[in-house]
Amino acid sequence: MRVTIECYGASQRWCGAELVNLDLGEAATVADALGRLAERYPELAARRETVAVAIGDDIVAASRTLIEGERLALIPPVSGG
Amino acid sequence: MSTSRLRQGALNIAEWLAQPMPPDCGGLAVFAGTVRDVHEGRAVTGINYHAHAALAERRLAEIEAEAAQRFGAQVSVAHAVGELKVGEASVVIVVRSGHRAEAFAACRWAIDTLKQTVPIWKEERYADGAARFLEGTPIKTVKES
Repeated sequence: MRVTIECYGASQRWCGAELVNLDLGEAATVADALGRLAERYPELAARRETVAVAIGDDIVAASRTLIEGERLALIPPVSGG
Repeated sequence: MSTSRLRQGALNIAEWLAQPMPPDCGGLAVFAGTVRDVHEGRAVTGINYHAHAALAERRLAEIEAEAAQRFGAQVSVAHAVGELKVGEASVVIVVRSGHRAEAFAACRWAIDTLKQTVPIWKEERYADGAARFLEGTPIKTVKES
């Protein structure tokens, strides 16, 4: 299946793009998507434990199963204020 | 007045002060965050605020509701996105409550919680032309704060 990753904040720098497309196997999870990104982008791999993933306006668990065509938002450590 | 808590461009604090004071309230506390001209010794010319809009709007509303419940106060929270210059307001918290103690407490809790729970990122711009995203804190839920 194909999903799209939206890179927010510093994750745009780590991945070198605002949008990244990933081709994953059937029944892939959020953790699988993060794993694939970590293989591709070392700067993200080094910070993987600090990054959350949102779908819509929800933060989702690493075990969440993905759906074909879904958009996942990478939420690196936040710095508002 | 817009009902959106996430605003494009600098905030005009007066907008939040113009709302009427509930008759049972005797305390009004305000916190505003503005863009500083220096960070860790580097001259800052401005900050570009980025946000995940849908989640940020939800989290800002949750902070208002949670603060109202915890402190028995009326709480308004707003944050800017986009390019801000030095001196411009990026965040405003306004609390109206019966007495000063809960007004100050709710104001502090709301800004501290916002900094840990709302998906907003500062990209600082420096006098030498460089720009960088600041290191932040891994996102938490409002209930965890």
